Amino acid sequence: MKRTALAPWLMLFAALAFFTAFFLAPFAVVIVASLTQGADQTFTLDHYIRVLGDQYHWDVILVTFRIAALTTLISLLLGYPLAWYLVRVVKWRAWRRACVILLVVPMFTSNIVRSFGWMVLLGRKGLVNQSLLETGLIDTPIRFLGTELGILIGMVYILLPFIVLAAGNALAQVDPAFEQASGDLGASPRATFFHVVLPLTMPGIISGSIMVFTLAASAYVTPALLSGGRISVLSMLIFQQYSSVFDFNYGGALSVVLLIFTLVMVGLAGRVGNIRGNNP
Amino acid sequence: MITQLLVRLVAWAVLGYLLLPLVVILGVSVTATSFLAFPPQGWTLDWYAKMLSDPSYVASFATSTVLALAATFVAVLLSVPAALAMARYDFPGKGTILAALTSPLVFPHIVLGAALLQFGGYFGLTRSFLALLIGHTIIVSPFVLRSVLSMLTPEQRALEEASSDLGGTPWATFFLVVLPQIRPGLVTGSIFAFISSWINVELSIFNTTPDLNTIPVKLFNYVQYTVDPTIAAASGATILVVVVAVIILDLCIGLDLLSERK
Repeated sequence: MKRTALAPWLMLFAALAFFTAFFLAPFAVVIVASLTQGADQTFTLDHYIRVLGDQYHWDVILVTFRIAALTTLISLLLGYPLAWYLVRVVKWRAWRRACVILLVVPMFTSNIVRSFGWMVLLGRKGLVNQSLLETGLIDTPIRFLGTELGILIGMVYILLPFIVLAAGNALAQVDPAFEQASGDLGASPRATFFHVVLPLTMPGIISGSIMVFTLAASAYVTPALLSGGRISVLSMLIFQQYSSVFDFNYGGALSVVLLIFTLVMVGLAGRVGNIRGNNP
Repeated sequence: MITQLLVRLVAWAVLGYLLLPLVVILGVSVTATSFLAFPPQGWTLDWYAKMLSDPSYVASFATSTVLALAATFVAVLLSVPAALAMARYDFPGKGTILAALTSPLVFPHIVLGAALLQFGGYFGLTRSFLALLIGHTIIVSPFVLRSVLSMLTPEQRALEEASSDLGGTPWATFFLVVLPQIRPGLVTGSIFAFISSWINVELSIFNTTPDLNTIPVKLFNYVQYTVDPTIAAASGATILVVVVAVIILDLCIGLDLLSERK
C-alpha cells in the first residue's frame, strides 16, 4: 500500500457520485414527499395515517406479505429437492449442465413473458384446466386468474430458480465426507439430513429465501397480470399513485411502508434463521 | 431408496414446471389460428413476419438493445474502478459502501422507478433515453461490481504487484495484467447486467412513451388489454434471444454452477 489514502476514494468517486445522485437523492425525495404536504412542504404525518389508519390498506399489506411468504415457502419446498437432485443425484455432467440452462433461461426471460405464459395456461379453457377436466380430477374449471392461487403459481415460477441456485451452491460446498461420517456413526439418512446437511446449507437457504421474499413482496408485473384487477398488492397501489393519480406524497408513504415492512420481515426471518442455524 | 425416488420425481416435475410456460409461448406463437391455441393448430411463421413488419415492435427491440448495451457499458466504467478500490485498499466504511452499491439488487424496482420519476421531474429528466439509461445503470451495476470483485483474489494481486515491481506503468499493468485476469468476471457480470436491463419492466414503465418504448414494457401494455399471436411471437423472440445469450454464457464460462467442489 504505497499510494496515499486518497487513492481508493478517487477510484470510487464515479460510482459513489452516480449512486448518490440517482439512488440516494431520489429516495430522499420520496421520503421527504411522504412526510410533507403542499408547495411549502410543511411537515405532516397525514399520508402515513391515511395508509395505516385504513382497513383496506391493511388488507392489501396482508395479501402482499401472505403472497410473499407463501411464495418463499413453496419455492423452498420445491427448490431444495431440485437442488439436491442436481448436486447429489445427477451423475452425468452434460445433463446437469442442461438442467442449469433450463433453470437460467426462465430467470433471464422477462417477467412479462413468463406471466403471459401462465395467463395462457391458467385460463378457463387453458391447458391446466383442460388436463384436469380430462383426467376427471375436477368437474368444473378452476378459476386461477384473478385469485391468489393464480398469482402464487406465477410468483413461485419467477422466483424458484433463485432458491435452487442458492441451495444448490450451498449443497455443493458440503463435503460428502460429513455425511459418510454421520452414516458410519450410525445415524439414519434422515437424521443425517436434518442434523448435518440441512444446518450446513442453512446460510445459503436463508440468503436465498431473503432475496426471494424481498423480490416477491415488491413484485409488480406478475400480480398485475395474473390478478385480473381483482386483487391488489402494495406495488400496484404505488404504481397507480405515480402513474395515474400523481399523488406523490401518498405514493411516497406507500413506498416507505412497503420498504419498512419488508425490512422488518427480513429482520425477523434472519433472527429466527440465525437461532436455528446456530443450534442444529 | 423411496426418498431418492421421491426427490427424482419432484425434481422432474419442477423442471417440467420451469419449461412449461416457455414452451406454451413458443407454441402459441406458431399457431395457424388467429387466436392463442395450445397445442398449436397448424404451423406458421406469419406472426413473426407480422411482428417484424410492424415498425413499433422493431423500434422497441432496438431501444431495448441499445439501452441494455449502454447501461452495461456505463456500469462497467463505474464499477470496475470501484471493485479494484475495494479489493486493494482497506478504508473506513468499506463494508457499508459495498452493501449500499449492491443494494439495488433487492431494492423494489417499482419504488426506484417512482423515485426517479419524481426526482427527474425537477430537472426535466423524464421520459427520455437518458432517464431510462440512468435508472438501468443503477440496477445493473451491482452485477458487474460483484462479479469483478469475485475475481480480485490475493493471487491476482500478487501478479499485479509483480508487474509494478518490474516497472510496468499503472496503465500497462491494468491493461496487460489486471484486465485479462478479471475478464471472466467482467463477461459474466456484463451478461447479467445486459439481461437485467433487457427484461426490465418495473423501472422502464415510468419513463417510456409510445414513441420511446422498450420491448418488455410494450408487451406489458399490450397483454393487459388484448392478446393475439403477434404478442406471442414478440415474446417468443425474446425467449430465443435469451436462449442464445445463455448458450453463449455457457460456452464462455461453463454454466456448470452446481458441481460438487472438491
